[in-house]
Amino acid sequence: MATPDDRRYTDQHEWAMVQGTDGTSTVVRIGITDHAQDALGDIVFVQLPEVGAEVAPGTAIGEVESTKSVSDFYAPVTGVVAAVNDALADTPETINADPYGAGWLADIAVPGEGGDPIGQLLDADAYQALVDGS
Amino acid sequence: MTAVSPLTSPLHDRHLSAGAKLADFSGWSMPIEYAGGGVLAEHTAVRTGVGLFDVSHLGTGTVRGPGAAAFVDACLTNDLSRIGPGQAQYTLCCVPDGEEHAGGVVDDLIAYLHGDDDVLLVPNAANAGEVLGRLADAAPAGVTVQDRHTEVAVLAVQGPRSLQVLELLGLPGEIGYMSFVTGTGGAGAEVTVCRTGYTGEHGYELLVAADRAGELWDALLEAGQDVGIRPCGLGARDTLRTEMGYPLHGHELSREITPVQARAGWAVGWGKAAFWGSEALRAEKQAGPARQLRGVRATGRGIPRPGMAVLDGAGRAVGEVTSGTFSPTLKTGIGLALLDTAAGVADGAELAVDVRGRPQAVEVVRPPFVPSHVR
Repeated sequence: MATPDDRRYTDQHEWAMVQGTDGTSTVVRIGITDHAQDALGDIVFVQLPEVGAEVAPGTAIGEVESTKSVSDFYAPVTGVVAAVNDALADTPETINADPYGAGWLADIAVPGEGGDPIGQLLDADAYQALVDGS
Repeated sequence: MTAVSPLTSPLHDRHLSAGAKLADFSGWSMPIEYAGGGVLAEHTAVRTGVGLFDVSHLGTGTVRGPGAAAFVDACLTNDLSRIGPGQAQYTLCCVPDGEEHAGGVVDDLIAYLHGDDDVLLVPNAANAGEVLGRLADAAPAGVTVQDRHTEVAVLAVQGPRSLQVLELLGLPGEIGYMSFVTGTGGAGAEVTVCRTGYTGEHGYELLVAADRAGELWDALLEAGQDVGIRPCGLGARDTLRTEMGYPLHGHELSREITPVQARAGWAVGWGKAAFWGSEALRAEKQAGPARQLRGVRATGRGIPRPGMAVLDGAGRAVGEVTSGTFSPTLKTGIGLALLDTAAGVADGAELAVDVRGRPQAVEVVRPPFVPSHVR
């Protein structure tokens, strides 16, 4: 699967995409990459953060567990969890089937409307190079 | 630093072209799952249809010469006199009395009795060398122990449709559970067909010369095409065996975990005069083990994993998970755990497993977690 160039990436194999603003903050949607879901294998359980939780890069905010292993996921930006993908509770396999779409994990509201909260993250080419080099 | 390249199965190239994800198993690079499959699909194929596994990492060794079977019987735990030629038996190689961890388990293995003078052993990859080495050291004059690990490939055909696949290939399949016969496979290779397996389904393990394994693999996949055969990796093998509560050496059995603790006493010939570790095991059986292997089934979310603590209602640790996974059949977490006898936990009791700091409720159950169909 190609790495979509409409979003940014982290070296933790997550993606982040700006969804828009709600007047006071910029909403960033996050998920795991196709490479990550493929490496995990069949995903059977997802632990999502609480809506309203304050999150920042570097700390785990949830878990994605497959038949084989469990992997933490992280907030690539600093903000407040605005929404989580509750549908994953019953159909975690959606992450395998559609990691860049219906398999999203959470929306994080980053305070402030200005600037680009994900501008510092990897672009598609840089992320693809990271995967190819690993 | 010198990199040691892993051993590979004679089917390695076929696994690569089938897009298998490979992982190291005791020094062998073996398939975990196949492209277009995955653990869940492969698991389901075995429960409802048929799956084909390469388990050539398993060891193979022969013990031959006058009195070979009697010699094996005097070393390994199970009572070899309970079976006749053409039958196989699950047995254990325990640490001999007088050594540290006496009665602990060096390995669990299958013994195939060809005759009084000829026994074939199939131990685990990691322990084959030690099992065969201990036997070779102890063998009386005239009895020869030979390691044939890389000469023999082992394929497993498992699932309710496994008999159909063998019949399509002209291999003998109408044999009793734990029996074996020698037949000729589709490509003309000599194959030892055994009604054994590690999945809980009706199935076979096929022993074939390593240089004929590729032809047999291809013939099985072709013959099984119409009944939906699927190559399956060791990921599904682990979820299948865990659903059956089958022990895996290094998890439920080890030098530190005796068969009395692992509830594998059925594989010990208690009436025999002696076997390796018999004194230590008899003493432990009489005194009662300090811990015993039990099943736990998650009643909510969370998946038990090896090493996690099992907690009672007061949050006290009463044991440890030895194996755990998501059960594809039950769609919930299941695990095997060694629980302290002193905690007095009854079947049906509610405990918790400490899943990365979150206690998740589990019920104590008696494996298998799903019904066995081996017979």
